[in-house]
Amino acid sequence: MYRFSAHALRDLFCKEEVSAETIAQSTLKRIAHYDHQIGSFLSVLSERVMEKASRLDQKRKEGKPLGRLAGVPIAIKDNINIDGQLTTCASKFLQNYRAVFDATVIKLLEEEDALLIGKTNLDEFAMGSSTENSAYHLTKNPWNVKCSPGGSSGGSAAAVAARFCPIALGSDTGGSIRQPAAFCGVNGFKPTYGRVSRYGLVAFASSLDQIGPFTTNMTDAAMVMEVLGRHCSHDSTSLAVKPEEYLKKIEEDIRGSVIGVPWSFLDQLQDGAKENFHQAIEAYKTLGATIVDIDLSLLKHSIAVYYILSTAEASTNLARFDGVRYGKRSQRAATLEEVYDFSKQEGFGPEVKKRILLGTYVLSSGYQDAFYRKAQKVRTLMIQQFKAAFEKCQIIAMPTSPMTSFPVGAIQDPLQMYLQDIFTIAANLAGLPAISTPCGFSSDGLPFGLQLLAPIMHDAKVMQFAHAFEKATGYSHKIPPLFDKMEHSS
Amino acid sequence: MEFDEKEVDKLAKLCRIECTEEEKKALCHHIAGILKYMQQLNEVETQGVKPCLRVQETHANVLRDDEVGDLLPREKFLENAPAHVGGMIRVPPVIKFTNP
Repeated sequence: MYRFSAHALRDLFCKEEVSAETIAQSTLKRIAHYDHQIGSFLSVLSERVMEKASRLDQKRKEGKPLGRLAGVPIAIKDNINIDGQLTTCASKFLQNYRAVFDATVIKLLEEEDALLIGKTNLDEFAMGSSTENSAYHLTKNPWNVKCSPGGSSGGSAAAVAARFCPIALGSDTGGSIRQPAAFCGVNGFKPTYGRVSRYGLVAFASSLDQIGPFTTNMTDAAMVMEVLGRHCSHDSTSLAVKPEEYLKKIEEDIRGSVIGVPWSFLDQLQDGAKENFHQAIEAYKTLGATIVDIDLSLLKHSIAVYYILSTAEASTNLARFDGVRYGKRSQRAATLEEVYDFSKQEGFGPEVKKRILLGTYVLSSGYQDAFYRKAQKVRTLMIQQFKAAFEKCQIIAMPTSPMTSFPVGAIQDPLQMYLQDIFTIAANLAGLPAISTPCGFSSDGLPFGLQLLAPIMHDAKVMQFAHAFEKATGYSHKIPPLFDKMEHSS
Repeated sequence: MEFDEKEVDKLAKLCRIECTEEEKKALCHHIAGILKYMQQLNEVETQGVKPCLRVQETHANVLRDDEVGDLLPREKFLENAPAHVGGMIRVPPVIKFTNP
């Protein structure tokens, strides 16, 4: 059953060829059997999902209409609230925190009869590119368990790659869906900023955060985006527009289209990654697309801009974790000041502390103009450069990451880790829809990701181009050998 | 621009995060490196450029009707509270009394 896509599972369930209880049981069994090898989950919602499955079977028995995700197991990154369930953000600060409401995305998935199976691991508060910053445990890459799954949504990417579930949700602030999707050989989509509601997502950098899906194929991505991509009155940045018809649009032919590539920005690519990217471009030419060179020279500054703006926003957003109303309160604290000082010291990990301090610095008087204001201005210029590029093409293609997955612990210098996101960050800064889709393997068997970007609101266009690539290459269907087996055969 | 441990001290106080000496050393080293990297933005000419506040102009001043929506019941809220008494969050004394 693990080989089925989400849409295939839904069809089987609706045709009464399999029950929701069987799907849920088999999913739980697979996680229990295999997840100790990669650690993709922080909590598994066994009881909850079995209850839901039983209600769903009853609903089907009664002949009631079934939702668009009926019987589909879905994993949720542990920075998205599910009412009554732990929402730790992989932080000690929220070790015992139980969400008091459902995020909008959760509500939408539940309304369409999805089976929510568990909460996945992440870098603490989504701050990182390797999932090594989780306060709980490491997550490993299903393609090579010595390697990182990427981050920050490493748990969600690994869970889908290992075929624990066909769909998982992640959040993407600077590449946190796309980079782990590339590392784990699955699809990871970051919608246009405002396309999917952020209500109930624990905020990291509010002007950049966006929720999106991991899937094993583009039809599933289109199916889940038809559910999630709608206006929400609880999020003031939610786009008040009609949902796109993703399932219909992804089938359209890309013949005669123009793809832009910022060739000079890709100069520094290492040989393996460069060759892989060239092959992808050749595949698009075969599909009838024309390739043009575009200027995105400002993107070389995207990491500097991002680490000013995102830390500034994070330092503001994370001020709410003060040890007073919920979350960690230090046992050592005897005064109110000590409640703040000690709770944060004990509750936050080193990367989170660093970013709060850095964000406070770039916002402090005397430095605000030199850092924060300057970064906002360069962000404006980047948006303008993207607009100019999209005058010449419908889609921009570049690698998702400068390299394939690296061994766990291999990158110690924080700046080197930040540089991992050189190709992904700009989409967040400009609010663009962007996807990472599987694009082949390195000589040591690790997946490459191809990234596609479109103008704001053209989410379906990104998926259409990824879908055409998927049909032409078939990379999306590859399963990590370690996990391409039934539970009893290992 | 110098970034030293005194700056870390100042920032830690502003953020209300207690840091050990060892933490301060590492933070100072890392933040100084990142700030140095950020200097590259000085290469970009930004004279007369408007700072980007939001990527979509339609997002400015979005208001909803002032209506009562779903409320969070007090009991449910208090389940996550580190300490509470009489239906209220409990914290150490804010105002201190001293004997004359």
